[in-house]
Amino acid sequence: MQTQFPPAAQDALAAVAAVDLVKVYGSGDTAVRALDGVTVGFTRAQFTAIMGPSGSGKSTLMHCLAGLDTATAGQALLGGTDLTRQSDRVLTRVRRERIGFIFQSFNLLPQLTAEQNILLPLELAGRKPDRHLFNHLTEALGITARLSHRPGELSGGQQQRVAVARALISRPEVVFADEPTGNLDSRSGAEVLLFLRNSVRELGQTVVMVTHDPGAAAYADRVVLLADGKVAGEIDRPDHGSVTEALRSLAVQR
Amino acid sequence: MSAVLRTQLRGVARRPARLLLTGLAVLVVSFVVYATVLAQEITKRSVLDGLSGTPAAVDLVARKGTLTTAELAAIGKLPGVAEAAGRMDAGGQIGNEYLQIVADPSTGPLAVSHLVSGRLATGPAEIAVSPRTVERLGLKPGTTAKVSLRFDKDGKPEAPTSLTVVGVVTGRDDYGFQAYASEPAVARMSGSDALNQIDVRLAPGADADGVRQQIDALVAAGVSKVKDGERPEVATGSQVRLEEARAKAKDVDSLFAVIGLFVAIAVVAAGLVAASTFRIVFAQRMRQLALLRAVGAGRGGITWSLAAEGALTGLVTGLAGVLLALGAGQLVPRVVAAFGPHVASPGLPIAPALLTVLLAVVLTVVAVVAPAFTAGKVSPLEALRGAGVTAGRRDIGKARWVFGLLLVVAAGLVAAYVFQGLPGPNPKDYNPSINLLAIVASGGLAFLALIALGPVLVRPVLAVLGTPVRRSGPVGRLAAGGVGGAPRRAAAVSVVVALGVTLISGCLVGGESIRVLADRQSSLSAPADYELTTNDDPIPATAVGQLQGRSELTHVVPYRRLAVTAGNGTDLQAVDVQLAAVPRLAGLDVAAGRIADLGPGKVVISAFMADNQGLHVGDKVTVVAGKRSMPLTVAAELSDVAPLASSMIIYPADMTRLGAPAGYSGLLADQAVAGEKGRSDGRRALTDAVGNHPWAINVLADQRDQINSELTILLAIALGLIGLTVLIAVVGVGTTTALSVVERVRESGLLRAVGLSRGALRAMLTTESALYGVIGAGLGLVLGVPYAWLAVQALGVNAPLTLPVGQLAVVFVILVLLTAAAGVLPARRAAKVSPVVALGAE
Ligand SMILES: Nc1ncnc2c1ncn2[C@@H]1O[C@H](COP(=O)(O)OP(=O)(O)O)[C@@H](O)[C@H]1O
Ligand SMILES: [Mg+2]
Repeated sequence: MQTQFPPAAQDALAAVAAVDLVKVYGSGDTAVRALDGVTVGFTRAQFTAIMGPSGSGKSTLMHCLAGLDTATAGQALLGGTDLTRQSDRVLTRVRRERIGFIFQSFNLLPQLTAEQNILLPLELAGRKPDRHLFNHLTEALGITARLSHRPGELSGGQQQRVAVARALISRPEVVFADEPTGNLDSRSGAEVLLFLRNSVRELGQTVVMVTHDPGAAAYADRVVLLADGKVAGEIDRPDHGSVTEALRSLAVQR
Repeated sequence: MSAVLRTQLRGVARRPARLLLTGLAVLVVSFVVYATVLAQEITKRSVLDGLSGTPAAVDLVARKGTLTTAELAAIGKLPGVAEAAGRMDAGGQIGNEYLQIVADPSTGPLAVSHLVSGRLATGPAEIAVSPRTVERLGLKPGTTAKVSLRFDKDGKPEAPTSLTVVGVVTGRDDYGFQAYASEPAVARMSGSDALNQIDVRLAPGADADGVRQQIDALVAAGVSKVKDGERPEVATGSQVRLEEARAKAKDVDSLFAVIGLFVAIAVVAAGLVAASTFRIVFAQRMRQLALLRAVGAGRGGITWSLAAEGALTGLVTGLAGVLLALGAGQLVPRVVAAFGPHVASPGLPIAPALLTVLLAVVLTVVAVVAPAFTAGKVSPLEALRGAGVTAGRRDIGKARWVFGLLLVVAAGLVAAYVFQGLPGPNPKDYNPSINLLAIVASGGLAFLALIALGPVLVRPVLAVLGTPVRRSGPVGRLAAGGVGGAPRRAAAVSVVVALGVTLISGCLVGGESIRVLADRQSSLSAPADYELTTNDDPIPATAVGQLQGRSELTHVVPYRRLAVTAGNGTDLQAVDVQLAAVPRLAGLDVAAGRIADLGPGKVVISAFMADNQGLHVGDKVTVVAGKRSMPLTVAAELSDVAPLASSMIIYPADMTRLGAPAGYSGLLADQAVAGEKGRSDGRRALTDAVGNHPWAINVLADQRDQINSELTILLAIALGLIGLTVLIAVVGVGTTTALSVVERVRESGLLRAVGLSRGALRAMLTTESALYGVIGAGLGLVLGVPYAWLAVQALGVNAPLTLPVGQLAVVFVILVLLTAAAGVLPARRAAKVSPVVALGAE
């Protein structure tokens, strides 16, 4: 059924795409097919949410697309580069220069200040920070006053906003976020989501976000639904209601 | 068993390797302690096996009193006595050389020497000599030597006796002047019938007690015939052998007492390492412990269960260490035996083994107490906090600040006490032991202060020493950040490295000072390889000329000596040696002036003379010899005594004007060719020149070499023993890095996720552990060098302060490399972990 590529995968506008991606954990009896032939594309300058029940392979898909993990079969294309065929050295460069990350928790190095954490990817790449972008990000995220603090002295929401700034500072082709609001109160969560959506609108940033919260998904331009390691549907211009409805129907099918 | 303890133990059982890693330092130190015990056993047994002086066949010994050859003969005739040997020796002189002639049968069970070549000395004018004596004195078998054996009342030798060398024998001692002859021959040579000791061998089946009583009565009767006689004791051979063995064993014991001191320092170091590892391990479990607290575990329960885990760690690692040492102890004698020498097996000393395990347990319990209390204080809220942001505290509590500063003040006060009580340049009746003890105490206090204040010192030290690392790029900056970000962890490890480096640098600085002192003194007391001296038969210029023509010698410099008085009438010695012609004297240390300025009308004076006469460079002093006198100007003032046991060096022409005869009172010379053969050749050249003159040859080079090699050996032993502490420190760095890598696996994952390459991560973690070495070595040098200087001053031997920069730099580099190496394996493991796994790890 998945042999035919949906148009999105070949879309010239796709910043990142999976083609027939398979990921198997373990082997023999205990083997788990976390991704079972996923084909999906993520359009440039769009905010996409990946949704699905727990264990459906959302994080795995994201890790493979971001060059954090290698797939068992299929292709993970980042702007034409197939990440599944690359050495660790190339993947490291890709992560450093072309991709930004936001995790659910433990986003920051405890021994560095907020500012040092934000500039870390540029430092590793040996690039000069774009002061203009830095000021813009920290102001928009409201963390200007907190730059000299260490993570231990910041609230969860502040830490996550520092992580967002770090993900965007290197002007990556794609920003991946794995449940970025999972650990935050609703207000902090809303601030982070709003910022991500604005960065898509104003800076033309491509953002892919994994979430299980229909409220969070409503900030996105598009929702891709996953179930049992397969693409199970899509929603364009989602709202809280349509997402909840889609998730419910997924649960019923299973 | 409490539920908390059960949970902890289950955790331990799941990862038993972690337990060994936590206690690795304790394991190593248990190994060292028990291995030392075994080494002591091996040494003792080997020594007792081999070198008991009295032959095994000796059954009875009469000694420590008046014994004569007549009694020896009488004892030999007693029924039940198979053989009796009288022990005595005669001192003789061949030319100016000393020769000791020992009475020994050289054959049979009572012999202490054994024939190697030629035949035994049996006749009244026959001797056999030891191998080195053949070399040193040129006494080959077949030669005849004229030996002065009797001396008049003034100690002048009477007419010499001709003795024939008939063989070569080996004895217990061989200093290069040992000869052996029969007992009657020695008695005749020395002209005395007094014996030092009589060794008796009994006939088989003889009544030992009966014979002993008879001998006792015999020697007692002998005493009464002699004026001021002293009654000898009669002991059994086994008793004497046991005494000799004990004396040897005592040497071994006192040697091991010193080794024990260093082992004790290593034990302290292991305790420090263990404490820091426990702190890290418990910190890793903070969330789990908090969870236990949240579900109702008491603070005390947690502390107790952690302490119990510490005790278990001590037990397991202590046992492992002891077993490893035991295995090594059984193996070593066998391996050594394969190469020839016999080494006794250490056996299986049970009590020390148990004590070592007990020590390991006590050590770990002591080490675990503070970390367990800290961990017990964890707030239940910790369990609910987000993971990963609980960076270690960077500061220390008020109480610790106060305590640390008090220690600094105490150490400073004790050091100040020593400083104000330092002896002057030429101290009289100065006893250094109190000052040295105070220095050790002050050093100990300073070290405790370092432990207390370590965490606040890490960042400043890192700021200074870590700059090149930070400058090197992002990886270096991250490494420095990682170390500085967890200063408690860094301090805990660095302090142990500092302990090792303090001891090493102290040793090197002290050793170098003593070496310079020894050099300086030996260039004064032994300014050349040989010295030819004479009292009343001056050396003529022709003899000097002959020696200067010999190819075996170089720098042949004669000098004259004159007794003079100066200024305030003190009796002084003046020499006219040409300092520039003697290489070791040319560079003599001066307190003021220049040696090169010595010329007609000038004088170079010793520090003593400058002091005694209140003289300075440029001053005039009138030197008086008998009826003559002349004024001299001080050209230079030496910083120590003057060479050749004199107080001043004057110009030869002035010496003549003061009435010194033309013949020389002495002569200095160096061997032309380096090495042992060159030395013997040079000596022979001198011997040829001496001929029948009563001139004495001193081989000063031998003396200098001996001091040098003794110093080197001592230093090497001390450094080897300190190596134990360094080993523990390196183990500490290794475990800390390994454990902190586990602790920081998510951090590694995050770095990898944002684009740090595998190699760079490896480099970063290795650099971190190298930085522990940098901090520790830096702190160690800062502590070690000044304390060593203070100790050198406190010795009161007028030793200079030295800074062996090269050696210290090598130590610094080696320590940094070692600590970096300790981090390599853990770093490799950390870098292998995929970033996804790392981010998922709890
Ligand atoms: N490292 C792993 N080893 C084995 N199975 C894994 C591993 N990571 C994820 N899985 C399995 O793969 C499936 C998908 O996981 P994941 O992508 O994390 O799901 P989601 O993020 O949608 O909750 C799950 O069944 C999970 O158990
Ligand atoms: Mg997930």
